[in-house]
Amino acid sequence: MLSALDKKVISLISQDISLTGRPFREMADRLNISEAQLLGRINGYKRSGLLRKFSAVLNHRKAGFIANAMCVWNVPEKSVARAGRIITGFSEVSHCYERKRALGWNYNLYAMVHGKTKAECLGAAKKISQKIGFSDCKILFSSKEYKKTGVKY
Amino acid sequence: MVKEKLTLLDRQILNRLQEDIPLEAWPWQKIARELNIKEAAFLKRVDFLKKKGIIRRIAATFNPKKAGSVSTLVAVNASPLKADIIAKRINAFSEVTHNYLRDNEYNIWFTIVAQSKERIAQIIKKLKQDKDIEKIIELPAKRLFKISVSFKI
Repeated sequence: MLSALDKKVISLISQDISLTGRPFREMADRLNISEAQLLGRINGYKRSGLLRKFSAVLNHRKAGFIANAMCVWNVPEKSVARAGRIITGFSEVSHCYERKRALGWNYNLYAMVHGKTKAECLGAAKKISQKIGFSDCKILFSSKEYKKTGVKY
Repeated sequence: MVKEKLTLLDRQILNRLQEDIPLEAWPWQKIARELNIKEAAFLKRVDFLKKKGIIRRIAATFNPKKAGSVSTLVAVNASPLKADIIAKRINAFSEVTHNYLRDNEYNIWFTIVAQSKERIAQIIKKLKQDKDIEKIIELPAKRLFKISVSFKI
């Protein structure tokens, strides 16, 4: 279980950290704990898998990856695990999930595909269809980003 | 394209910062050393990349499940003319973390990360009452195959 202090730490470090020599000391001061205590907790979260990554979040469009497509496949349940593992190997794919189907929406395997052009995304999607052996696929390009924030804890 | 304006050093910094930063007292100094530059020069460049909007933030991302949160993906079909207004209404929920316009009958796609299943159900119920939203599908994840949001810049 997370303590009240853990929750405060998580909330603080999920926001942008400062570009000063000792950014964790500043945060520790705000939490009224020592820098070593704070780093101890953060490293603990990392070990337990609670903390996935402590890294830069980029604006991919501004970094040159202007095209992104959510590609979805309809894959029989018994083949999902194999297909998912294959998709994991594609460097163009950032996220891959199996999701529940919905009424009128039969797709259950999802991959976020990024590229410098739409053609790159289409090419990757086509290669994935071939490799997994299922072609009931839809490619949904994003035309607008309405929101992208970190989770507020 | 912005990408053309990035120097080799910028790209090295972006690639490095997409990996975990050192979870220790002087993280920037350590990265600067890895890149063979002075800490001050490194910080100045990172600040520039932030001001340009290429780096959104440097922060911790958590495994929502382990942090006690529940997440889901939702899609609605909005009349194209009203999509922007409807997206704004969806974004008003602080639990909505990502939201995109996509080219499909279901055109607004967003993720919700909330404290409980009940809260997600409540948000969806409220959106169902929105007279501009005709159809809404919820697509919770069953299995995660890949999450690695880092790109070779």
